[in-house]
Parts: sequence; structure tokens; C-alpha cells
Amino acid sequence: MGVSWTAVVIPIAVFLVALVAMFWLRRRIYDRLMRWFERNRWEAGKMLLPTLRTPSILWNLFISAYLGLVVSILPAAWKSPTGKGLWTLFLVSVAVSAVNILSGLTVFYGQKFRMPWHAMLVTRNVVRVIIIIVTLLGVMEVWGVPTTHLFVFVIVVILAAALAFRDTAPNLFAGFQLSATQQIKVGDYIKLETGEEGYVTEIRWNSTHIKALDESIIIVPNSRLLQRTIINYGHPLKQAKEPFRFSSRTHLTELTGLKAKNLRELVDILKMAPDAVVYYHTHRFLEQHHYLTPEPSNDFAIWVSDALGNEVLGERLASVDTFEFPSLGVLRERLVSIIEEYLATRSNGREAMEEREFHFMKSVSAIFPTPYAAHDLREFVEALRKISLGSLYFHIFESRLRLGRGLNDFTIWLKDSLGETELGEEIARLDPYTYTLEGLRSALIQLIEKRIK
Amino acid sequence: MISDYEPIVGRSTIEELRLLATKLSGKVIQNINSTFTGGGVAEILSRMVPLLEQLSVDARWNIIKGSAEFFQVTKKFHNALHGRKEKITDRDFSIFTETSQRNMEEMELYGDIIFVHDPQPVILVSRKKDIGKKWIWRCHIDVSHPNEAVWQFLKPFVVQYDAAVFSAPAFSRQLPIRQFLISPSIDPLSDKNKELPQQTIDSVLAKYGIPKDKPIITQVSRFDYLKDPIGVIEAFELVRKSIDCSLVFAGGTASDDPESDKVLAEVKERAGINPDIHVLLIPPGSDIEINALQRASTIIVQKSLGEGFGLTVSEALWKAKPVVASAVGGIPLQVKNKITGLLSYGIGGTAFALRQLLTNPQYAKWLGENGREHVRYNFLITRHLRDYLLLFLTLEHPQDIIYL
Repeated sequence: MGVSWTAVVIPIAVFLVALVAMFWLRRRIYDRLMRWFERNRWEAGKMLLPTLRTPSILWNLFISAYLGLVVSILPAAWKSPTGKGLWTLFLVSVAVSAVNILSGLTVFYGQKFRMPWHAMLVTRNVVRVIIIIVTLLGVMEVWGVPTTHLFVFVIVVILAAALAFRDTAPNLFAGFQLSATQQIKVGDYIKLETGEEGYVTEIRWNSTHIKALDESIIIVPNSRLLQRTIINYGHPLKQAKEPFRFSSRTHLTELTGLKAKNLRELVDILKMAPDAVVYYHTHRFLEQHHYLTPEPSNDFAIWVSDALGNEVLGERLASVDTFEFPSLGVLRERLVSIIEEYLATRSNGREAMEEREFHFMKSVSAIFPTPYAAHDLREFVEALRKISLGSLYFHIFESRLRLGRGLNDFTIWLKDSLGETELGEEIARLDPYTYTLEGLRSALIQLIEKRIK
Repeated sequence: MISDYEPIVGRSTIEELRLLATKLSGKVIQNINSTFTGGGVAEILSRMVPLLEQLSVDARWNIIKGSAEFFQVTKKFHNALHGRKEKITDRDFSIFTETSQRNMEEMELYGDIIFVHDPQPVILVSRKKDIGKKWIWRCHIDVSHPNEAVWQFLKPFVVQYDAAVFSAPAFSRQLPIRQFLISPSIDPLSDKNKELPQQTIDSVLAKYGIPKDKPIITQVSRFDYLKDPIGVIEAFELVRKSIDCSLVFAGGTASDDPESDKVLAEVKERAGINPDIHVLLIPPGSDIEINALQRASTIIVQKSLGEGFGLTVSEALWKAKPVVASAVGGIPLQVKNKITGLLSYGIGGTAFALRQLLTNPQYAKWLGENGREHVRYNFLITRHLRDYLLLFLTLEHPQDIIYL
């Protein structure tokens, strides 16, 4: 039986046309992918393309050959196994490519996220097994072998695996997403709605590490990062030469057992009293009533007005602006001189009623470190939101006057360690005695936020 | 739990307590008083010791032993130190000394810091010369005008302590040892101070037949002349002439105070049939009822003639109530005149202050809110805990500025 020439030419023509079309399509897809990877800076993508170069040529050949086979007049007994053979080769080559690509991606991201080596191997092998099983199912389907049992087995294995990795998988995928979208990068200062905050030091395959203000490392599962609202303040600011380590202070009141019932006794004891007494009676109101806008007053002024009924002298003592004095000694001298000037021209005046005498007390301060430390303005302002009022009080009031540093601690650090002279001076000019402690905290935060912007 | 206080005082306050507590690691604090139950000291210790333990401070609590006769003597001492007239005999002193001697021999003194509360166990310090340790005497009593015989008897023991602690500046004496001021405190989570649903408040008002439709002025105190209940009624009557309001005088009688029934009878007689005056005898253990009455009040009065510390004022302020109180005992520490409440000195002044607040509800609200903040920072148990931790640490550091 003779074979018409068309029976040979048409399949070959179909094969050749399909092959040309497939190569053209391959070129277009290749170019598109290349541009997309470039645009999105997906480093892994650049690695993918060379891996696909040879297999994609084979796929073109298999598909073109199959199309040629379909239009050929070969007997069904030949055509069917040949077609199945071509499909099998196609599936196997796709499987080999998938194994190469996914293994490459696993290693790439595993190294990027510092995935432990054994976890990387397990992931790679799991991927390989899945691809082999899926390919096997495909090939069996092509050759008409029943696949139901194997399919059920695979589903069970997948479910078991999903159950086993139910906690890990979301973190892994979240890690991929974080890396792809670049929402959070190493070096960003982030704040989670649940309160954790700090600089991102590492993004691993399953978790992100944040250095908190107390210098501890917070490990946040990646899936949580995607589920929560996050404020990202961006990259670190200028680093200080030395970090600011926040201290705090609390105090105990010590009774001296000394008391005055008139002006002469008051001034005589005041002259002899230790600095801790002067400090206590010029800061007690602020410490106990710091939630109010404080009266610009000291205990001496209040007592002279209320217990002795001498409002003129009370007003003079109240007008002493503690903020103006660089040391407790000078402040004491001023208070003493006001009372002595008054006594020089007038009598001792009235005596306080029983139980309304002036009791001299002193402040015993305990200063202790807090866990908070700041290396730049961002960390500083965030720590400022968190520290106790005792800590704020210590750095602003106590260190300046009681410890004789002359300036508040924040100003000293901003100028000396961070080179933020202007901001430091702005804070030094702020009269803290005219604020509530919370008001003072807000004022400082505003100044620093303004500087950061 | 200590963490339950975090929403009230803030996280940083609790963090600081934990930090201070770590500095006491390895030290045993041995508290000693005369009873595990009844009385203010036992109430404070029953709350304080578990909280110290939660902060990992090894705090323990022991009591001294004594016969009924011994405790009758200590009760007399207590009253005498408060300035009340008491006949103290030589036999009283010898009963006190003999029992104290037995306690000295029998009591195991194992603490690194031995924290003795009130006069009953004061003599235990005599063992200091043998065993050393640090000793603190916590005086919960107003000793500003003590019976001199009792004070002179106790003083040689008091001066052997490393430090003494008083609740108000006026209570301190000139002593050759360090003295500290630590005010008592209220527990915001106790039945007496916790938040209550409106339903509970209404049901207490209904139980005692107190109308809700007009302002309520309340004084919560024992039926005791020192609380000036008749003065309160007189001040109320002056106010009632021009403003429609009710007076609630709620309190209990003390089993150890034979006068209280007499005072109650007098108060009831003075109140007469005035439907606006509610004299309520509240049984012991009715803290929630007291809490509800305070919360239902428009103004709270504490017109005492004498007070130890007067913590009912802090209880009222914590409920953000405007307070009118006498300037006695520890009250001026709690009420800063015209800032966290109003201080008064007599019946007329109290009536004037009440009228001022009833006719200026905005001002009254401002005072009440300031009062609540004042208590939050100065009179809650967390501040008390902090002061105790610092007190223990201060024993090792005699300077005015301590670096921990």
C-alpha cells in the first residue's frame, strides 16, 4: 500500500511550524520574565531562568512532536504508545526541572533566612518527593493505570504533613512574603500593635528578630508580623558614641525629728540642715502632686502662708524659682536670706498652732538602672514613652540639682554623645517645674519627634 | 497577684518593685506583731507579706505569745500612747516585761531584718546585742502626745533599733536613731475599694432606705467621740437649711470600746426623727456595703477631732469623691487644701465647705479627680510596698543617695 506524500509532509510541517511557534513563544516568555525579575529585584528569579534554558528546548520538541504525531496517519497501535511516550518524556522533563528549580529556591531562601541546614535538607527532600509522586500520578494517568489508591495515599500523607507543619508552614510562607514585598527590612525600627518594638536585626525563615529597648532580642514568628498592624519607622538614625542608659529613682522620706513653730526656728534649722532637707522641701510638692500643674512653690512658702498666716513672706518664698539655681547650696542661701531680711525689720511674728509646726524631713534617694538604653534618637524617644515617671524625674530634676550636674542628663547626652547640640539646648531651656511630669514627657517627645522629622 | 495592680499603677511601677526586690535577694525579712487577725496591723501584714513573696522577697510573719492579762496591758499602753488618759500601774509594767522576757526566750529570731510592729513586741530588740541583725520598729500609733510614763518605759528599747518608722511627721520624736516616714495605704483591689456595679450600689441604698434623688453627704467612721458625730450632724443641719440633701453616718461599734454604744445612742437621739439623717450601724465584715455607700455619696466628710492616719479619707478620694475633712493626724497628708479636697476646723467651716461643693459640682468633681490621682501615687499598697523595700535597703546604706 502506497503512502501519499502529504501523509509525510503534513506531520513534518506541523512539527516544524509548531517548533518555530514554540521557540518564538519561549523567547517572549523568557524576555517578559527577565524584565519582571529586574523590575521586582527578585534575585532568585535570575537564578531560575538559566535552569529552564535546556528543559524548555526539550518541551518545545516534545510538544511539537506530539502535534505532528496527532496529525499523522500512523496506525492507532503505534500512535497511542508513541503519544503516551512523548507525554511521559514531557512530564519527566518538567518534573526534573521542577526539582532543580524548587531545590535551588529552597537553598537560596534557606541561606538567606539562615534556615538550619537539616531543615533545608528536609524541605528540599519533601519538595522532591512531592514532585516525584505528582509526576508518577501523571504518568500513570497517561498510561491508563488506576491511580485512586495512590491518590488517596498521597492525600493522607499531605494531610499528615500539613498537620505536622501547621505551625511552621505559615511562618515559612510569611517569611517568603516579607522577603518578596520588602515591607520590613533588616535595620528598620518597627513597633507592633502588641507592644513589641525595636530594630529588626535578622529576618529568618520562620521568625524575625528585634532588638528591644532593653537590649533583649524579641523573636517574633513571621506569620504574626503579617497578621498585626505594624508601624515601620524605617532605617536607624545617627548612632550615639555612647548609648543613653536610663536610670530610675525612688525615694524614702526620713524624719529628722526637728521642727519649727516660728520664723526664727525655721531659718535657724534651715541654715544647719543637710542638702537632702532643702531638696526634699523644695521638691516634695512636685513629687506628690506631679499629676497637677505644680504650684511654683516650696514647703517653706506654703507653711509660712498657711500655718503662720504670713502671706507676704509666703509669696516671697514662693517666688523663688528653683529652676534658676545651679545647686542646693545657693538655693538654700536664697531662702535663708529672704527670711532673714524679713526678720531684720519685723518681729518673729505669730507661732504655728500645735500640730501645725514645720517638720523638717529629708529625701533618701535610691538610684537604680532600668533595662532601657538608647543608641539613637528613635530609640531614645521610644524609651522616653516607656520609662517610669521616677526615671524621668531623676534625669531631669535630681541629676541637675541634687547630683550637681548643672544640666539635665538628656541635654548632656544629646550634646556630648549624639552631637545634637541644638536639641539638647532646647531641652535645657524647658522649665520642667512648670509642667506636670506627664506633660513634661509629652513636651520632650514632641521636641525629639520634630527633630527626627 | 502583684500583676493585678499593673492596670492601676502602670507597668513601670510594678517593674520597679521587681527590680528593688531583686536587691534583697537572700535576705529574710521577719515581721513580728501580736496577732494574725484583727486590727489594722494584721490587715496590712496579711496583704503585704504575700505581695513581698510574689516579688521574691523572703518575707515571713510571726506573732508573740501573751496571756489575756498581757493584752489588756498592751491595750492600755496603746491608748496611753495615743494620748488617752489611762491608769498604768507598776504591775502593768511588770506584766509587760515578764511576758516580753518569755517571748524573747522562746521566739526564734531568724530574719536578717527583724521588722517589729507596734509596742507589744518592742522588747524583743534586747536580743540584738547577742544575735546582731538589723532591727526596725514600725510604730503604727500616733505618739505625738503620748503618756510620758509609757513612752519613757518604751524609749530605752526603741533607741536600740536601727530605725523607726512612723506614719506622719507629727508622730515622730527626737530619737538618736534614723526615723522614716511611711504612710499607711489602701488596697484598691480589696472589697472596700474595688469597683462596684451600679446594681450593688443601688441595692445597698435601697436596703438602708436612702433616697437617690438628692445629694448624699456621708461620714464613715466608728461611733467614737473623736470622730465628732454630733459635729457632723450640726454641720449637716446648717447645710440642710438651704440645700435639700441627706446625711449618712455609717459605722460600727468596737467591742474593745465600751463608749461606742453610748456614742451611738447619743447620735441617734441627736438625729431624732429627721428623715434626712440616716444613722447606720454597719456590722463587721460589711466592706462591700461601706464601699457602696461611699460610691453613692456626693461628698464624704471626715470631721474627726483626732485621727491616727484616717485612711477612710484615702478610701473616699480613691473613689474620686470630694472630701471635707479636719486637719488632724494624717489627714493633711491626704487632703491638700483646695487641691485634693477641703480642710476645715470647725462646724461652721465644715458646713461652708459642704455648701461650696454642693453648689459647685464642677469644682467638687475636679477635687475628687485630683484626690484619686493623689491616692494613686501616694496612698496605694504599691507605694507602701516600695517604701518597705527601700526601707530594708536603706539599712545597708546610711547615705542620702544610694546607688543600687
